[in-house]
Amino acid sequence: MLHVADLAKQHSRASRPLFSALGFTIAAGEIVALVGESGVGKSTLLNCIAGLETADRGSIAIGPQALDIVALDETARAALRARSIGFVFQAFHILPTLTVAQNIAVPLLLCGLPAGEHAARTRALLERVGLASFGPRWPASLSGGELQRVAIARALVHHPALVLADEPTGNLDPRTAGEVLALLLERVREQHTSALVVTHSQHVAQCCDRILTLTPDGLLE
Amino acid sequence: MQALSRLSWWLIRAQFTTRRAATLLSMLAVALGVALGYAIHLINDAALADFARAMKSVQGDPDAVIAARDSAGSVPLATLNAIARDPAVLVIAAVIETRVRIDNARTPVTLIGIDVFSAAAVMPDLLPRHNEQAAAPNLFNGGVYASPALLAKLAQRAPDSDSGARPGRTLTLVRGEQQWPATLAGDLPAARPDDLLLVADIAWVQERFGPVDAVSEGRVRLAPDSDLATWRKKWAQQLPAGLLIRVADDDSARVSNLSRAYRVNLNVLALVALLTGAFLVFATQLTSVAQRSTQFALLGVLGLSPRMRLLQVLLEGLAIGVPGALLGLGLGYALAVAFTRLLGGDLGGGYFAGSAPPIIPLPAPALVFLALGCLASLAGASYPAYLNRMQPLAQALKTGFAQQSHADTARATLPRLRLPLFLALAALALAQLPPLFALPLAGYAAIALVLVAGIASAPLLTQLLFGWLSAQALPAPQRIALQNVAQAPLMAQVAASGLIVSFALTASMVIMVSSFRVAVDQWLDHVLPAPLYLRSKATPLPQDLLAALAQPDAPFTRVERMANASLIIDPQRPQVALLVREIDRRDPAARLPVTGPLLAPPATTPAVWISEPMAEIYRLAPGQTLRLPLLGREIEVFIGGVWRDYGRQFGAVVISRQDYQQLGGDFQPTDLALWPRPGEEAHASAWLAPWADQYGLEVADSAEIRRLSLSIFDKSFAVTYALEAAAMLIGLFGLAVTLAASVWLRARELATLGALGFDRRMLSRAVMLEGALIATVGVLIGLACGVGIGAILTHVVNPQAFHWRMALAIPWAALVTGAAITLAAAVLASRHAARQATRLPVAQVLASAQ
Ligand SMILES: Nc1ncnc2c1ncn2[C@@H]1O[C@H](COP(=O)(O)OP(=O)(O)O)[C@@H](O)[C@H]1O
Ligand SMILES: [Mg+2]
Repeated sequence: MLHVADLAKQHSRASRPLFSALGFTIAAGEIVALVGESGVGKSTLLNCIAGLETADRGSIAIGPQALDIVALDETARAALRARSIGFVFQAFHILPTLTVAQNIAVPLLLCGLPAGEHAARTRALLERVGLASFGPRWPASLSGGELQRVAIARALVHHPALVLADEPTGNLDPRTAGEVLALLLERVREQHTSALVVTHSQHVAQCCDRILTLTPDGLLE
Repeated sequence: MQALSRLSWWLIRAQFTTRRAATLLSMLAVALGVALGYAIHLINDAALADFARAMKSVQGDPDAVIAARDSAGSVPLATLNAIARDPAVLVIAAVIETRVRIDNARTPVTLIGIDVFSAAAVMPDLLPRHNEQAAAPNLFNGGVYASPALLAKLAQRAPDSDSGARPGRTLTLVRGEQQWPATLAGDLPAARPDDLLLVADIAWVQERFGPVDAVSEGRVRLAPDSDLATWRKKWAQQLPAGLLIRVADDDSARVSNLSRAYRVNLNVLALVALLTGAFLVFATQLTSVAQRSTQFALLGVLGLSPRMRLLQVLLEGLAIGVPGALLGLGLGYALAVAFTRLLGGDLGGGYFAGSAPPIIPLPAPALVFLALGCLASLAGASYPAYLNRMQPLAQALKTGFAQQSHADTARATLPRLRLPLFLALAALALAQLPPLFALPLAGYAAIALVLVAGIASAPLLTQLLFGWLSAQALPAPQRIALQNVAQAPLMAQVAASGLIVSFALTASMVIMVSSFRVAVDQWLDHVLPAPLYLRSKATPLPQDLLAALAQPDAPFTRVERMANASLIIDPQRPQVALLVREIDRRDPAARLPVTGPLLAPPATTPAVWISEPMAEIYRLAPGQTLRLPLLGREIEVFIGGVWRDYGRQFGAVVISRQDYQQLGGDFQPTDLALWPRPGEEAHASAWLAPWADQYGLEVADSAEIRRLSLSIFDKSFAVTYALEAAAMLIGLFGLAVTLAASVWLRARELATLGALGFDRRMLSRAVMLEGALIATVGVLIGLACGVGIGAILTHVVNPQAFHWRMALAIPWAALVTGAAITLAAAVLASRHAARQATRLPVAQVLASAQ
């Protein structure tokens, strides 16, 4: 579902490359943890995979059609993200001016799904993340843990091939973090989606199928 | 597509509910621009149509009109007979038109003498209806027929049934000293409701009021198979020089020329309002894009295409523009109806007389103005849309709105001076160009360039000011304010631009109006040398009054007479005034406010002095000779000089009484300038009063005329004060909005400062100082641009549009006061933003990673 090969990236004003000749594969339905010291380039790697930053070299094949996002133009990258990738961020990023249900429906709208199917799928996912009655509420009235559940629903509502989660529990207290993470992994497994989860938590990493460690010298299995 | 449009709609709705005030204000500004433009269009259309109808009702719709070019002239019957023998002519209807007063009423009415048989073919609206009940003579033995409006007026004047509007009653028709009885014999059923007309038989009128062996006009209906253009060409060559052939096209061209400049200037005002709308849409959308940069970045990450990120902001602009423009159409229609009711079709400009014309909205122009409103809002939203499309997603998601302008703050002074300098020079060059299509289009372009140059020089002045300030030892809050502006140059630039434009436009209007008023004031001094003036409204002054004034017991030391007439030089242009004055050929400057050189005329040639508008419209200069259509022929006259005239926009020619009489002209004074004997001013007025009463004359002293003229001037520019106030409010609003947005954008920095121990007063003072700094830059540049634009308005736009020349008179005291008030208001406006800074929930802002 994700195949990264020979990836190289150096920020324009950096003295040395973050990584060069990076390569790994995530199989369909596999959940992989990405760990590493702060500043080593985990977020940059995720950004490259999502096509938000452009890799200097290499290829990143995503989804059943194995489209190489490095080779696509900006519009095609956006389309690929809309169809094949779900995102969970450390900072939640729930749109404050839309209701919870509308937030979850955004990826469906971006995929161009007919309007008739939104309500049912949104409601189903709200139930799956334990927020059945939260649909009409505004994000400002939700707690951090609840917001991240909304984000998980939004990441999965359009059945993406790959979920990218950048420190999804970094802003939560340990107990909530545990619950939210369990929920994320459970739902991802349920949909047979692949996932790459950046984390600092040993516990989180242990819950995943495989752990990748990013170091200044490259990727360690 | 359907799914995307739903997302788009969600975002637009959210935008409207969260930024209600700014959105509504932008919408109103767009509405105002559309409303003004549309109202001007509707009013002008209605006025032109009304004018054409009025013309048709009195003149009928002949194929051509034979008329004298000199208002004192007439068309010889011999000429009409010759034309009537042309087989191409079906009918020629002779007409005599003159102004008479009825029973010594003050205002004259038009008396039209017609030949009822030919009039039936050309002027059906003037056909009289005989009242059978009245024992009145018919048209051929002295019966006169009144239009409904005149009948109503007569009935109102004498409500008792004995006189009034009763058919069969005798009316006394007065013209100068001539008085003739006539019998009211019926009405004019087809006359327009507001025309004051009296119709009689042409021979009857001619016998009593003249002219002998001539008529005022011949109105021609051609045979169906003859071609107007060739017919006109043929006769134009054969007619005597004092006559001309007018066709319908000339009439409409003349009417349109009459109000053209006035109309264009109003349209420019509407355009400014529309641009203001565009600026407000720009400020609103820019700040909203900045505020929502994280949200848009998120949508981009989730897969909203770059094109859609651009489109969304444009759509939001349209969501402001479409309702705004629709509202503007409604408002414009209401304005047009209200204004024509209140002021008539020329908005009090004095170009079209008559009642309120009906306003008829047509779909095509309405669509054009709707499109203009939408275009303005799209234009305003386009740069914010572009910025939104170009946001680097990953970075914007992490830290919000990204600005790339750090690089150019380091640039040197000289290269940054290049663009504003170039623009200013280009503006200067444009200001030298002559009018295009008789309009000051290059002048308007120059004004736009000055504004752009001002905006382009803002970063430089900001940099200089900040360089100087940061070299001073400042307390911490002030230093932070400086850093903040330096860090958010885009926001500072937007806020400053709004102020530059609004202050420049306001200052330039103040400068133009003040220059104009000073000039009119001086001009009035020059053109009103006598203490008393007397004027006859329609007909020459009565001889017995002139004779009485010549008696030694008349209480005046000096009397100057003037005859007022008009000439047609170009049938497509409004008439030119002909003033025959008692003026010294060798010293015209004693009476005329001469500008430029005065040349002594050759002894044998008659001399004229032309007004500035005349010199510009017909491209004439002192020393040239001009062929004037005078006294039924073309006479070569020498142009001795040019004089200033703010009274007659379409030109005036002054000729001395001696020259006029030597040419064979009959000097019949219509106006008098009177110098009462010292100490006998009251007696002089009392002496004139019975004459004024008897002959319906106007008497006014120069102070009164002066007061009246200046009050008319002030009234006609009153609307500009409202516009200036609106412009300043919009500029200040722009400052408040953008400052608030930049506070919002730097929420984290400010919250950090708060956490580090800055108290609220310090934070608020820092933001207010920031506002004051931006406003200083805006007002300084705005003032400089305002002086430049004021000079363009006085020296380019006014002369080219209205042919009014004047010296620049800059009211520094008023401008400096205005600048100080604007600065104070700007500090007040930034308090709004400062309050936001102090209310930032420090803990919450720092906790959220946004
Ligand atoms: N846009 C950028 N330009 C230059 N350097 C960057 C940029 N983004 C990140 N970096 C640098 O790249 C390195 C990796 O950053 P990041 O991928 O965020 O690390 P991680 O997520 O592993 O903590 C850091 O040293 C950071 O300073
Ligand atoms: Mg990171």
